Amino acid sequence: MKKQGNIFICMSGLILAGALMPVILSQYHLYILTEIIIFSLFAVSYNLLLGYAGLLSFGHALFFGLSGFATALAIIHFPGLTLLSTVLIGLAASIIAGFVIGALLLRHKGSYFALLTLAFSALFYAVAVKWYSVTGGDNGLNIVRPDLNLGFASISVSGLAHFYYLTLIVVGATIIFCWYFTQTAMGKTVLLMRDNEKRMQFLGYNTNFARLILFTFTGALAGLAGSFYALHFEFVSHMAVSINMTTVVLLMTFVGGTKKFWGPILGVFVYIIFQNYLSDLTDRWALIMGFIFVFMVLFVPGGLSEVIVKIQQRLFGKRNDNGVKYIASEEGNL
Amino acid sequence: MKARFLGSLCSIIIVLTLAFPVCASAEDTIKIGAVQALSGTFKDIGERYLDGCVYAAQVINEQGGLLGKKVEVIPVDTEFNPDVATRKATKLILRDGVKFFYGGTGSTVGMAMKELATKHNLIFFTCDADSASMTGKDCSRNFFRPGGCTDNRSFAVAQQTVKQGYKKIAIIAQDYSMGREAVDGFKRKMAELDPEAKIVVELYHPAGNKDYAPYVSRIIAANPEVIFTPNWGNDLTLLLKQGRPMGMNQKILAYYINDEVSIAALANDDLMIGNTGTEIYNLDIPTEKNKEFVAKFYKDRGYYPTWLRGKSYMATMFWAEAVKKAGTTDVDAVIKAWEGLTYDGPAGLWTMRACDHQAQMPYWHSEVVKENKFFKHAFIKHVDMIPPEDVEVPCKETGCNMPK
Repeated sequence: MKKQGNIFICMSGLILAGALMPVILSQYHLYILTEIIIFSLFAVSYNLLLGYAGLLSFGHALFFGLSGFATALAIIHFPGLTLLSTVLIGLAASIIAGFVIGALLLRHKGSYFALLTLAFSALFYAVAVKWYSVTGGDNGLNIVRPDLNLGFASISVSGLAHFYYLTLIVVGATIIFCWYFTQTAMGKTVLLMRDNEKRMQFLGYNTNFARLILFTFTGALAGLAGSFYALHFEFVSHMAVSINMTTVVLLMTFVGGTKKFWGPILGVFVYIIFQNYLSDLTDRWALIMGFIFVFMVLFVPGGLSEVIVKIQQRLFGKRNDNGVKYIASEEGNL
Repeated sequence: MKARFLGSLCSIIIVLTLAFPVCASAEDTIKIGAVQALSGTFKDIGERYLDGCVYAAQVINEQGGLLGKKVEVIPVDTEFNPDVATRKATKLILRDGVKFFYGGTGSTVGMAMKELATKHNLIFFTCDADSASMTGKDCSRNFFRPGGCTDNRSFAVAQQTVKQGYKKIAIIAQDYSMGREAVDGFKRKMAELDPEAKIVVELYHPAGNKDYAPYVSRIIAANPEVIFTPNWGNDLTLLLKQGRPMGMNQKILAYYINDEVSIAALANDDLMIGNTGTEIYNLDIPTEKNKEFVAKFYKDRGYYPTWLRGKSYMATMFWAEAVKKAGTTDVDAVIKAWEGLTYDGPAGLWTMRACDHQAQMPYWHSEVVKENKFFKHAFIKHVDMIPPEDVEVPCKETGCNMPK
């Protein structure tokens, strides 16, 4: 009971803090915070593949960018559509792409899987650059956020504060749902599949099907993040489907850590804040981020979340709530 | 345990969020965000543009500032990427209250910046991004171009092509909006001036391309009399460096043949001599104002205000004239003041057309020669001036429907 009470208090604190941000923060910092929330979903979706299922994908930005483009195209070509309709169109595009690509990749694992995702990513990137009449080529697509029509009321989200609240509610709820997913039987199956797929097959699980569902699901999550990315920046270009974008989310996930559900969210925080402050100081900020990545992989493979867990263990001991000793990496994800 | 973890996480998130410093924008300076490619393949281009803008701000400040305030140039590295450019520019808008942006090397960056300026009701001006559509079908009241545009340039090059009697022309351009629009303008004008002239090959390569062998082979196979290219920076240098030894010996009719860095990088003057270009600013423009500008710049910096520096200087000075005329930094007032304004600078008289915000200006035709008074290597020599009316696109033909 006490534990549940603490979680409730903590969640309430987070929601209250989130609700107060437009009052506390300047416009610029609210803008950054919105970006952080969107990328948090992107990174969480990536970690479900990498950290939970052990699938290294170099094509995750494909869903992110595809959905961003689909949302932007829906806004441009169907001016009467409401904001949520355009998001749903983006989401549908990423689900279809996730299912089709997932079906083609589901029998491959390890480096084959990684290389095939890279190939698909390159294919989509080429289409984004070359299909000028649809994607705008190098110029990308500029959009204006449509209003949020709830049926009984139409709310303008052209202002940053309104869009922030919308992002906080929709994207925030999706992140919470992702956490819930990791607690479900399907979520546990993914973990077990990563650890011993053969055993899962002997137990009667169709691991290929489970992997297809996971791939489609994470693609859809990345797609939702991509839609909000396009709406936030009111712009989407071929960079959203590029390998660079996948590298960014990979970096965010590694910096935060793949072993905890909240690791990638922490990674996004650190990455975006670092990126903004470092880019003020030097044009070589990408080089510094590269060094940080190498450092993290070599010396802190569990990411910042592992560091926090270790500090926490030093301060509060290494026992869990039942008084039983455990090892963080074996504990799995929160 | 989990609750404790969550508690720690909540604390970290809240502390990190509240740790954002809140900045106030100072009103004692007029800020220009100079969005330029300051890293990557086109770093050198972006830095020279920035240098010209910074020098203009220095001159303005030495003369007592603008409306009694200092002009401050804030460099923004776009990494030649529209996403990065708009993200960083948004930071300046929201955090520092910057109302004026200049630059946009690469029309893709320019296009994105134009849209950003329109959304936030700011002013973005450029002499870097040349795509005609920016002041054509995609024009904006918040965007001004005190610089050349692909239509005007291509018209000028087409005139030179016809004048010199070339009939078989090869075209090679960067595969992005500026390259394609440059070719489109050239072909339109050629069809009008000499319908018998033939484009024997038309090639597009990615901006920042490194291997030109496949393109050069096709040019050689097409056997043209002359090659037209709107390429710039490394894309011009490498085309010549790799193409000449392969046997691509035809004369080049270019936009930006006046790039001293490209000529020096070739390290072989013979690859360049005889090629021609058409630009809005050259070092040897024979006006008194230009001679004075070049001398003053050289004295201050120890090098010449070549090409990009000169253009950038004049564009910034033209903007300053508009602010001066408006008597305020209010965006709407500056927009109104700039429309129809003229600027008599080192490169002749420039007029900012109200119908599309495209400056009308003379173009300067030049040829690369061995002997010159500026550099030890080959450099351009002034040939003639093409008056604005000769390359003008009438307002009704630009496709611009200027929003009020």
